[in-house]
Amino acid sequence: MKSNLPDRSLIREYLLGRLDNEKDPEERLSHDIFSNDELSEMVESIEEEIIEDFLDGTLDSADKNAVSTYFLRPPERKEKLRFATLLRNHFEEPHQLIGTISDTRPSVYTNVVRESSECRAPIAWRTHFKTYGQLAAVVLGIGSLLYISALQKKTTGLESQLAQERVHSASLVKEAPILTSALIPLTLVADRSRGDDSQIPHIEIKPSTRRIIVDIALQGHSPGPFNVHLETKAGNGPIWSARLLPLVSSSGDSRLVFDLPVQGMESDVYSFLVSSPLPGSGSGKHYDFRVDLAH
Amino acid sequence: MAPQRGEKRTLTPEAFGKFLRWLSEDDELAVREYQRIRTKLIRFFIHKGCTDADYLFDKTVDIVVAKVESCEQYQNPLAYSYGVARNVWHEDTRERKSVPLEVDVASPEHPDPKAYELELQCLDHCLARLSPGDRDVVTRYHGQRGRDKNPVRRGLADGAGGMNALRIRVCRIRKELRVCVVECRKRLSN
Repeated sequence: MKSNLPDRSLIREYLLGRLDNEKDPEERLSHDIFSNDELSEMVESIEEEIIEDFLDGTLDSADKNAVSTYFLRPPERKEKLRFATLLRNHFEEPHQLIGTISDTRPSVYTNVVRESSECRAPIAWRTHFKTYGQLAAVVLGIGSLLYISALQKKTTGLESQLAQERVHSASLVKEAPILTSALIPLTLVADRSRGDDSQIPHIEIKPSTRRIIVDIALQGHSPGPFNVHLETKAGNGPIWSARLLPLVSSSGDSRLVFDLPVQGMESDVYSFLVSSPLPGSGSGKHYDFRVDLAH
Repeated sequence: MAPQRGEKRTLTPEAFGKFLRWLSEDDELAVREYQRIRTKLIRFFIHKGCTDADYLFDKTVDIVVAKVESCEQYQNPLAYSYGVARNVWHEDTRERKSVPLEVDVASPEHPDPKAYELELQCLDHCLARLSPGDRDVVTRYHGQRGRDKNPVRRGLADGAGGMNALRIRVCRIRKELRVCVVECRKRLSN
């Protein structure tokens, strides 16, 4: 049997809030999504498609604006975005160190989405449900033997699962220290014109290091975006490139925060060339740092 | 009257009990139905771009409970709750319009390398717990970027019954992973 589901592009418009002022189609689609589980699942998959396009940087400016001002308002969606970024970083292959702007974009959002939003499991027993669950227990009583019996069965199953989880958990805790040194922070405050050449920031890359978390404090205020190229101090490269949006604090300070893989780096002096793609904005600024490989 | 944001709820156990009874005479079914309505309404509010779906759900239930308490008869709890939820959403939209939009909706915090690494570690763990078929699909689905991903996904779609079916399958797998990572992170943080 062929299901009669709405067009994906219509659902996409709906999710970007563009049907909110169109009474009939909005009402119809909302009702269909609410009452049709198959359609509801399709909507979820389109949500993820929008997130993927957002991370890919393939949305046009109108869609990007709708994502920022409407789609990403709920913390649940921000969490989905954050998870999608995590998934990308996981599957990012080592050879992508030498990449192009398009394939390094996701790193931009590693920072943009790392927000302190609360995670929610699909069935979250919070607020009402938790409170009301307790109330319900009082009101409805515990007289139903059938219910209790079912709960006991569930509990037995859960205990067995819990025991398995404990074993998993113990093994993960054992592994955790091995990976704590896999990330290394690098903060760059002064560009080459203002910095002391003999005291450039220095990081040591150990065999266990996988990524560098970079934080560049920008001078002045600009909404961006910025092109960031990693090159050697001698100007060879770019070894890595990205187009990044700055993070702007409430006081107006701008920073670029991103991460990049360490594969392929050697003991040397490197430099991030940060420039604006806008015409007439100059050739950019160099932020130097020294890398030492530890053996 | 429904409470304002941050205001303490005044819902009584008796009123909520009556509401559950309205959902079903059977205790377990009533709780299940409540959970089903909750899931659907929360999802509705998220689809509408609401910032606090939980609060709007609470507000909806308060209104519905008040109606049930006043002995008004409604045949279909889910449909009735949905109707109330739509009104709550309209009201929220009107209120929202008077508040300027946040420019930086995804305002970040400084990355915490430890937490990030923990999440990656959890993701490894959760991927390993997927069935081999699901792991293969999600790995191949996310393994390519840009134009390279298209032929890979088309190939996967052929074996999954079409592109829509593939997207839905990957969506389910990602959801499973997300839940697993959240749980794993909680375990390791404690």
